[in-house]
Amino acid sequence: MPQTDMSVKATSQKVTSEKVTRRRWPALLLQDRLAFAAALVLVAVAVCAVLGPLLIGDLATRQNLRDPGRPPFSLDHGWAFVLGSDSLGRPVAARLIAAAGTTLSVAVPAVLCSLAVGSVWGMWAGYHGGWRENVSLRIADVILSFPSLLLAVVVLYVFSPSAVGIVLVLAIARIPVYLRTARAESAELRSRLFMDAARTFGTSSWASIRRHVAPTVLPTLLTVAALDFCFVMLTESSLSFLGIGIQPPDVSWGLMVAQGRQELQSAWWIAVFPGLAIVVTTVSATILAAWARLSTDPGQRWRQGLRRAPRRSPGATAQTAVEPNPGSAGSGAGRALPSPAVSSSSPSSSASSASSASSSSPTGTLVVDGLSVDVRTPAGPVAVVRGVSFAVRSGETLALLGESGCGKSMTAHAVAGLLDPAAEVGAGRAWLDGEDVLALGPRARRRLAGPGLSIVFQDALSALNPVLTVGTQLAEPFRIHERMSRRAARAKAVELMERVGIPEARSRAGAYPHQFSGGMRQRLLIAMAVALRPKVLLADEPTTALDVTVQAQIMDLLAELRSEQRMALVLITHDLGLVAEHADRVAVMYAGTVVETGTVADVFSRPHHPYTRGLLGSVPAEQHKGSRLDSIPGSPPDPRSVPTGCAFRTRCPLAREVCATHRPPLAGTGTDRAAACHFGKELADA
Amino acid sequence: MFSMLRRRAVSSVIPLLVVVLGVFFLARLTGDPANLYLPLSATPEMRAEFAARNGFDQPLITQFGDYVAQVAHLDFGESLRTAQPAGEAVLRAFPATLQLAGWTMLLAIVGAVVIGSLAAYRPNSVTDRVASFLSSTAASVPDFWLAIMGVLVFAVTLGWLPTSGTSGAAAWVLPVATLLIRPFGVLVQVVRGAMVSALSAPYVKVARAKGARESRVVFGHALRNAAAPALTVAGDLAVGLVNGAVVVETIFGWPGIGKLMIDSVLQRDFAVLQAAVLLTALVIFALNILVDVCHALLDPRVRQRAAA
Repeated sequence: MPQTDMSVKATSQKVTSEKVTRRRWPALLLQDRLAFAAALVLVAVAVCAVLGPLLIGDLATRQNLRDPGRPPFSLDHGWAFVLGSDSLGRPVAARLIAAAGTTLSVAVPAVLCSLAVGSVWGMWAGYHGGWRENVSLRIADVILSFPSLLLAVVVLYVFSPSAVGIVLVLAIARIPVYLRTARAESAELRSRLFMDAARTFGTSSWASIRRHVAPTVLPTLLTVAALDFCFVMLTESSLSFLGIGIQPPDVSWGLMVAQGRQELQSAWWIAVFPGLAIVVTTVSATILAAWARLSTDPGQRWRQGLRRAPRRSPGATAQTAVEPNPGSAGSGAGRALPSPAVSSSSPSSSASSASSASSSSPTGTLVVDGLSVDVRTPAGPVAVVRGVSFAVRSGETLALLGESGCGKSMTAHAVAGLLDPAAEVGAGRAWLDGEDVLALGPRARRRLAGPGLSIVFQDALSALNPVLTVGTQLAEPFRIHERMSRRAARAKAVELMERVGIPEARSRAGAYPHQFSGGMRQRLLIAMAVALRPKVLLADEPTTALDVTVQAQIMDLLAELRSEQRMALVLITHDLGLVAEHADRVAVMYAGTVVETGTVADVFSRPHHPYTRGLLGSVPAEQHKGSRLDSIPGSPPDPRSVPTGCAFRTRCPLAREVCATHRPPLAGTGTDRAAACHFGKELADA
Repeated sequence: MFSMLRRRAVSSVIPLLVVVLGVFFLARLTGDPANLYLPLSATPEMRAEFAARNGFDQPLITQFGDYVAQVAHLDFGESLRTAQPAGEAVLRAFPATLQLAGWTMLLAIVGAVVIGSLAAYRPNSVTDRVASFLSSTAASVPDFWLAIMGVLVFAVTLGWLPTSGTSGAAAWVLPVATLLIRPFGVLVQVVRGAMVSALSAPYVKVARAKGARESRVVFGHALRNAAAPALTVAGDLAVGLVNGAVVVETIFGWPGIGKLMIDSVLQRDFAVLQAAVLLTALVIFALNILVDVCHALLDPRVRQRAAA
């Protein structure tokens, strides 16, 4: 099951990509002013190249030795001399226009040739794979491992320099770039199912490439081509500048710079303007390429469009742009409701230990109170955690139980101060030993991270740094918090490894994470988290990636460490069995809020919330053998459109009118238990 | 480690052989080699004498054998201009280019790591946008023009720096700055991209959960993971520096391999050009192996794969 915050991201991303494809690209181009300006520049260069000969006639080459070296920015001698004239009296402006034609007549055919040959070759190689792929890639390596200018120098030495020669050299030098890109993309497609289907139908390879591979690969290749255009232009002007490219009397921007270089002291403008022309053209092409890449990649675009939630101010926390009904968005447990709600500042008997939080909280206890987390999306902030409250005592295990996407991981990350940049705490408090950790500055936060609050992550492989030895990573907490010497911290690390049951700890400390098995990696991660005997350990799906036997070993280890160190353990999970076996108390989460709390024994034997009921009803059990398993109709709501009132009402068998208008608070339904349902009391009494 | 090096060496020998073959074919199969080696004004008698002396009247296969034997001994014939062995001329020019390229890459890598990490630390911040825009611009500015503008401003107008030569630290400023601009621009973008993904990895969260300082998180944890892609690109850019060196050395009169190549092209000195090209290919070959060694040093997984 994916981590919750990931699935939130995925849904928002999907929405944006729909939006992007619906809008047409000219509209998108207009929206981005920089890209639009860049497109205008390129169009202007193209117009100059095509219409140039008509506009300027032979002005560019006609020598006028009577007044050479005329300075720029004067219209006395007509527009052609607005940028001055060179040593032979030829107007610079007219020569710039003529050179635009030369530049494009080299760059465009070169790019088109390499694009055509490289992409067809690459798609063919990638589609077939095997030796065809290997040989093609080897050839590409050989060409690319040789500096292109050097290749051009040698070839143009042997065949005397000409425009056609330059085009050919540049095209050959750049074919590998397209070949590699097209090969990578089409090799990726090769493994997809629809390609197998096409092959089964007997579609010929070229038809498959044309119909399936080409349309997918082409957008990427065009972006590469836009960037390549810059490269080709720069190489052509470099060659011309060096005297082995375009030859006089033809005009090229690079050639003009070379001529201007001779007269740098007396007539700076001859060298400056053609260089500016090159810069403006290549920078425009770069900008346009970057824009094209962004607009074809919805993920990238999504990141760009992120909007911050309005700064939090007391009383207005809940009113976010996306919530259709401000009343339902209440972040504290029903703060904006007229109904008798549990105010977040005075927890009722429901969250038992929360009541004592504000005055004198017991040591080693974490009390989370009215926590809300918003995720920024292009459409505005979305509340994924909506007023979560729970409490956990030292030596106790509290399970945060919920389906993926219910906000349980996000809650843990918010408490640990590890939210992604796109997410932020909207409201709420988290008391650790009477100190609100959410209000702490970064320095005080760092001081607590380890000895106060610690966290174990789900996927141990990606949670361990692949390039550092496990010994180094395990020693880090001691180095940071206790300022131990390298040697002492290392010894502590080995001790820790022995404690969590890693054989041959001393020699294994020098190994890297990829050299351990999944279960061992999870042990290492746990060792790292408990290194400084934290008061609270948040375990975020610590056993999801492991098989059942290893799962049991890891849970036993966590239980041992908990009683040994008197930790408070918050176990975040979707696994009912795990909760039943290992937790003392449970907080059931649905759509970003806690819907029911109590001891595991109470909640599991007599659930007081219809959602918990449904959840427990879907578990195969001995007494229901032979009968159909119950399931909850429908699916959890999208965080962007949570139903008004009670979030569960659309799937609830007990839903009434009141459920649509009033959000039920988490209210006491018995000793040490609470449920967020308008009929919680009735369910409890039934 | 050594088996990996051996394997890499063997596989990079192929491009090297292709270059050797390519130069041979260009020289022999595209017409009379005398056209390449001798000035255009050479008389028919000179050409005949030249062909006999260099064995161009022999069968192609014999010529190829002789050629390979010569290349293996780094014997590339005599320079037409100076009548000295071409190989010596090239070896004399190499240190100047290596120094120039070395300083440039050092500055580019250090600068790109700092700027790229800063930009990646807060994606879409003002710093990030400015760095991204400037670096993509830097990567698409023509170096030869930038060099000339540098000369115009700092040498001609302000008179702070010399226009050419290698004496004194001031003479290094403009060549290094010109050569630096493109690799620096590209590397900033690569480091930024790699750091953005490294900084969003779970192990970075774990490091923060341990209470590590941000500097330790960025440079101790994220950067070593981001180094691999940056290193690959840095290797390619170092190869590409040969392009820049040709331009920069020509403009600033730097007595390196790039200037030597252009001079020998313009003065049709094929022996020197051939020597310069083949030795450059050899250096690139060595550089690729160096990059692989660095990869192995940085990433234990590469080391393990290499040992397997």
